Amino acid sequence: MTDREILAVKVVAVERVTPLIKHFTLAAVDGGSLPAFSGGSHIVVVMHAAERVHRNPYSLLSAPQNLETYQIGVRRMEESRGGSHYLHDTVEVGSRLEIAHPVNLFPLDKIARKHVLIAGGIGITPFLAQLEDLRETGVPYELHYSVRSPEHAAFERRLAAMAGARLHLYHDSAGEVIPFEPLLGRQPLGTHVYVCGPAGLIRRVTETARGLGWSDSHIHWEQFSAPPVGDAFDVFLARSKITVHVPPDQSLLESIEAAGIDAPYLCRGGVCGFCHTRVLELDGELLHNDHFLSDADKAKGRSIMPCVSRARCSSLVLDL
Amino acid sequence: MLVTGIKSKPVYAPLEADGGGRFHVMLGRGVGREPLLRVIAGIAAAKPDALARTRVLYLPDSAQPDGAAAPFTAARVGAVEIFPGAERLLGRFREVLDGALMGTRLYVAGPESFIGLAMKIALEFNLNKDEIRAEECGTRARRVYCVHCRATTEDVRTNIAPCVGCARWLLVRDHYSRRLAAYMGVMVDAEAPGERPPVVELFP
Repeated sequence: MTDREILAVKVVAVERVTPLIKHFTLAAVDGGSLPAFSGGSHIVVVMHAAERVHRNPYSLLSAPQNLETYQIGVRRMEESRGGSHYLHDTVEVGSRLEIAHPVNLFPLDKIARKHVLIAGGIGITPFLAQLEDLRETGVPYELHYSVRSPEHAAFERRLAAMAGARLHLYHDSAGEVIPFEPLLGRQPLGTHVYVCGPAGLIRRVTETARGLGWSDSHIHWEQFSAPPVGDAFDVFLARSKITVHVPPDQSLLESIEAAGIDAPYLCRGGVCGFCHTRVLELDGELLHNDHFLSDADKAKGRSIMPCVSRARCSSLVLDL
Repeated sequence: MLVTGIKSKPVYAPLEADGGGRFHVMLGRGVGREPLLRVIAGIAAAKPDALARTRVLYLPDSAQPDGAAAPFTAARVGAVEIFPGAERLLGRFREVLDGALMGTRLYVAGPESFIGLAMKIALEFNLNKDEIRAEECGTRARRVYCVHCRATTEDVRTNIAPCVGCARWLLVRDHYSRRLAAYMGVMVDAEAPGERPPVVELFP
């Protein structure tokens, strides 16, 4: 990312929609239109906190037809490395933020005959914008949304208004579970399934679909991983010829950026593969946390996704 | 003269059973029967219970002594339907897909022109590459779409051929349209009327 792809925005509304989720509405500081996007897109929000810079990806949940403002839903993470706490505790109406242009890594298939959308908790956010797109295309769909308890059902009224009878709600607290097998077992040819939410839900949906004979090209999922904390380590950047220290609570990518190196990134959640970096030397082991590299490539240890992955090593040299 | 190396030219591979599928739909024409029987044997060996969820739609090229359905029935597939013409078979294929569920795999074996027409219908149902297998066998004659008058000439076996619609001599290109299930034909003597290369059989 370079500076010209960064947009300056101001917060024009903040709404607490559940005990843990807040909506932030953002508008361009200069008052102009924001870039166009399609349902499923996310932005990276850049937060200049006192001690460090946070860059977190959030799905756009506002209607793609409205480019006056963007809306994001932020869940306050219990084990936050700071980004979601910063937004929840510090940011208010009038605050200035920076965002990167929207990128869509979770688009709806354009020639699908039907869509089955499955969301768990905050994973509903990309679907909110997609429902707006679906309203225009008229392609049939079902939305299955699982939440902890009624008070956690963010967006329930908005969803009911948009989806009507196509919305199916499940409350964990009442023991309600999405009927994965019958649901995925009765879909007509040309259906695509999309799942966003906790890792367990994504695994359940993808495994059930494959078990019922769904081919991979009809199964879509998105899960942004927060970079996990770990042991500190040092990395030498071969092209920049500098050594960078990676502290326990900062990701490899964040540490490289803090050292002033402009490293590539798009999703910052281990999904897109854009930050793929070659490992030139390694004495130790790579701790892969991404969803991009295959298990075989992870085992080879020749490349790493600096946005979420780390190393436990005495020396590491990257092609950056 | 034939323009080659065009990426849209479809590539086929020998049929194999796809163990990931829950339902199997098989289309065959003429000698395409043999590859289908091979796949059915593969399914019988790996997942015998899937035979009941296998349906064969077959178009014989010539009369068979025991009836065209016999080898499929003997292989114990769930349903076998025999058709007297491609149009009837493809009409039934459309009905089958309309009632099919996710988890279905499609196998097509026969001449490319037959495969192409089946693929065109499969595309309407958003079947993707990872759900379709096709093996080319039998005649290599092409369906050729005239880019001038938009008529499709069937059964073209030569490098150039007259268009069934406008009688222009068309050069048969390797440029293939999945939507039209045909190769593109362009007027061969547009710049020098009457100057045509000799007619050579390329697609026996």
